Amino acid sequence: MHIASGFLSPPAWGAMAAVSGAAIAGSLALAGRRLDDRKVPLMGVMGAFVFAAQMVNFPILAGTSGHLGGGLLLGVLLGAPLGIIVMASILVVQALVFQDGGVEALGANIFVMGVLPCLLGAAARRLWARPKPGMVAYIVTLVSGVAAVLAGATVVVLLLWWSGSLPGKVGLAEALGVMDFIHLFIGIVEGLVSVAVVRFVLGVRREAVLGVAPVGEGARA
Amino acid sequence: MTRYNRNTIVAGIVIAVVIGGVLSYFASEDPDGLEKTQGDLGATQPAHKGLDAPPVAFNEYSLKWLGEGFWSHAAAGVIGSLVVMGLLLGLGRVLRRARQTSSGGQGSAGSGS
Repeated sequence: MHIASGFLSPPAWGAMAAVSGAAIAGSLALAGRRLDDRKVPLMGVMGAFVFAAQMVNFPILAGTSGHLGGGLLLGVLLGAPLGIIVMASILVVQALVFQDGGVEALGANIFVMGVLPCLLGAAARRLWARPKPGMVAYIVTLVSGVAAVLAGATVVVLLLWWSGSLPGKVGLAEALGVMDFIHLFIGIVEGLVSVAVVRFVLGVRREAVLGVAPVGEGARA
Repeated sequence: MTRYNRNTIVAGIVIAVVIGGVLSYFASEDPDGLEKTQGDLGATQPAHKGLDAPPVAFNEYSLKWLGEGFWSHAAAGVIGSLVVMGLLLGLGRVLRRARQTSSGGQGSAGSGS
């Protein structure tokens, strides 16, 4: 769902750069307190995973593909500040090294695929921190995946509309309908993959995810 | 580095190779949801002056010197994943150190890597 270069007007990309810039600054300020020894490698691995997984487009409807966003599962596993930092790093590398997403659209893309889903994921995080995360955690995460992708898709259309990048004959409602219909299916995949990945990573790296400290050290999530 | 952390990083390298290098080659070539929407709505012409990063080493997800094809794509996927991981490991260390300095090293006693 990367907005390419040339589709956002200066006010639109400027506003999004300001919002995402503020979110990144806040995340960096909060990050130190949340980082322990085992969380740094986890951050790196999750970044590599989401970058790689975003390259794997899956077929969704006739002639359309989708790819994982990954912000939601980062929000669950790392919390919002670290998740936003990981997602922003991925999107910066994609834009600067691989010409994936416009450089001026970085703020918008970080908001849509980073800030928004990471905040939703972080809200679901406490459900997974329980000793035995049950059906509620799965369902909330699945629904959050759909919600995150639909919200992101809606923001993208609104930004294109604000930027005058939709043809005159196309109404906003029509554009939202087309975009959100496709992204409903992509969102379901996002939700399912998020549940599976969170389950797996919690299984093998519970201490690192939840910040459970070894005996004798103060625990900090 | 502890064994726990070394294993985590090895997992990252395996992920980079298997998913970024191999699996991504078999990805769908169809337009993604946004591209498809823009195509359906006839909104594929940029209306503004954009800014694209110059293709220095990579042409999208292909390594320039290798042209197109499996190995070029695999190299891009593996290198991209590892660049992201390296960037985050470095950034994470800096942020963690900043916290230790500002809090007088509390809260992470014995955490020397």
